[in-house]
Amino acid sequence: MLVVVAGISHKTAPLELRERLALDEETAVRLARELLDTGVACEAVALSTCNRTELYLYARDSLAARQAALAHMASHAGVDPGELEPSMYSHSGDGAIAHLFRVTASLDSMVVGEAQIVAQMKAAYQQAYEGGCTSVVFNRLFRHALEVGKRVRTETAIGERPVSVSSAAVELALQVFGKLRGRTVLIVGAGETSELTATHLRSRGVEDMLVTTRTLAGAEDLARRVGGRAVAIEDLEEHLVKADIVISSTSAPHYIIRREHVERALKRRRHRPVFFIDIAVPRDLDPEIDRVRNAYLYDLDDLRHVVDQNCHERKKEARHAERIVEQELTSINDWLRSLEVVPTIATLREAVEQIRQSELERLGGRISGLDEEQRAQVEMLTTSIVNKILHIPTVALKEVAGRDQCYVYVDAVRKLFDLDGAEAAGAGGGRPGPAESSPDAPAGPPASAPVHRLRGTGTEDA
Amino acid sequence: MDQASVILVWLAYLLYAATFVVFLVGFFTQKPAMSRLGLMVAAAGLASHTVAIVLRGVTAGHFPFAGIYESMVLVAWAIVAVWFVLELCTRIKAVGLYVMPVLLVLLTIALIEYNPPVGLAPALRSDIVVLHVLVMLVAIGCLYVAGGAAIIYLVEDALLRRRKPGGVLGRLPSLASLDRLIYHATLLGLPFLTMGMAAGVIRAEAFSVAGWAIDPMVLLSLAAWVVYLVLIAGRVRAGWSGGAVSWLAVTGLLLLLVIRFAAVPYLSGFHTYGG
Repeated sequence: MLVVVAGISHKTAPLELRERLALDEETAVRLARELLDTGVACEAVALSTCNRTELYLYARDSLAARQAALAHMASHAGVDPGELEPSMYSHSGDGAIAHLFRVTASLDSMVVGEAQIVAQMKAAYQQAYEGGCTSVVFNRLFRHALEVGKRVRTETAIGERPVSVSSAAVELALQVFGKLRGRTVLIVGAGETSELTATHLRSRGVEDMLVTTRTLAGAEDLARRVGGRAVAIEDLEEHLVKADIVISSTSAPHYIIRREHVERALKRRRHRPVFFIDIAVPRDLDPEIDRVRNAYLYDLDDLRHVVDQNCHERKKEARHAERIVEQELTSINDWLRSLEVVPTIATLREAVEQIRQSELERLGGRISGLDEEQRAQVEMLTTSIVNKILHIPTVALKEVAGRDQCYVYVDAVRKLFDLDGAEAAGAGGGRPGPAESSPDAPAGPPASAPVHRLRGTGTEDA
Repeated sequence: MDQASVILVWLAYLLYAATFVVFLVGFFTQKPAMSRLGLMVAAAGLASHTVAIVLRGVTAGHFPFAGIYESMVLVAWAIVAVWFVLELCTRIKAVGLYVMPVLLVLLTIALIEYNPPVGLAPALRSDIVVLHVLVMLVAIGCLYVAGGAAIIYLVEDALLRRRKPGGVLGRLPSLASLDRLIYHATLLGLPFLTMGMAAGVIRAEAFSVAGWAIDPMVLLSLAAWVVYLVLIAGRVRAGWSGGAVSWLAVTGLLLLLVIRFAAVPYLSGFHTYGG
């Protein structure tokens, strides 16, 4: 049995194809269920974001699993499997687990380090869990993957610096003003980036938004969308006095705000700092504005430069993250290996034998009156009880060995006899006994696994 | 007993050095736990420092402000105490990165220039002198902190204008919070500076010190006082903020440094406080 992943992502398929393959919650679970029903896999999770559609399967045969995944994804999307084939990638075993971890750690995202994917992965897993499509392995594996995602977020700075123009602008505004609550924003000219920036600013607590465009109707339209109020462009200088942050993106061929305007406005607003964001090409704001004390001006090139720098930082952090993924891969592999039948039987026998030995030792004083032969009989008696008790589970385990569901039995045995705890205790030289808590205790979904939301990530894997 | 006091000063010195390291780590890793740990270590340093001063005072039999050793230990104490209170109120962590090295420099000077406790010179045995020293300490603490915040403000302003966000800039406190800290620290320090100078003048007049009014130290102090007054007035009356206020705070700090490290030991004719 091994983990298999098959799917398409922004790296292999164009948006047009990704759109057709996108699954909503319900179809995702249905697709997973269908694959389980074909018998090719024992556990399945379907993940669908706007940048990827992937199927994770726990299957016996990676090739068969891949083919089944391809066929079902194609039929759900109404695409010819032959058309889908070239865009599809698949990994199995270690490669598949590493892929899952890398995806959850947002190392495979279009914008490396974006924060949405952890939540999306969690939702995909939760739906599959609720739909009864996951069991021992995936419950453990996906919980682990979510932990990896969390670890990468907390231990590296991968999502710290903003990597989109609009979020970089907001970050800079925060650097100047600290808190944005109670600040006034003036938006001059409509545009996608300025609208996005406005939305970011609003989510940071900006309440007062003045919107002005060449026509009042246009301003009113934009104001409705960003939740601001439209003002006349003729009074631009009046509004400059009020504004702490100015976003400009008109299509005017010349500067619409000049240094003199800003100097006058600053005097009237008693030199409280103003942050200008010029995202228009050609520029709207006189570059000289940046020379005015307490006025800061960033144009599109400046912001792009910031974004480039931050992307570079993220790449550096991504290397740390890859190391974390490697570490975690080793730890999950140790667990997966423990799900094999033969070592489990050996461990079980060893654990029970240790109990027998230690109980005999404990009795040592009380059976000291027995002679050599009697003692040998006690030995034999206890050994035979142990063997009799172990006989049935051992045979049962050997019988299921080789069947698809065998790991479920193995897992049950390991839990019932606390073998993982016993192994750990044995390694430490202590007596086998109930471990304080099994490291893989509950097999349910992480009901409240915290999903990290980080500031300043504007481009999501949504 | 004085030995115990010196050991405590050393202890405080080491704790401040540890605080600095912890703050540096916290600054670069951005772990809130680090800044909390730093504050705790700094508090331990402050406690040790305080006990050291009390012990020194008991041994010497007077408020310990005579000689370079005692005055440096006191000035360092005032700075860390004021910073500590302001830090608890404002939580602007980066200022600790400035305060700790300043403390270390002051305490290094103190420990190099160590002298055993001596009785006070007759000219210093006066309540008004002690009052003068006490209020000046508060003033110096506040104004050094304001100067530090202003330096950080100007560095950050330069980084923003040179389009160098990323790394360091993202870890600095916002300009607005530094601006507030400069204002509040100066607002707190200026009245104490005024009182301290008034006490000095009263003392000079009462003892008819000749030519005190044209002493370089007095003139420089007056200049510093005017700078801080302009800062507060500009801020309150004309709404100055940011750059202008920062430059004034840095100018004031420079004047204070010149007074303390040049005018008092070398230029002043009568001010024996530095020993």
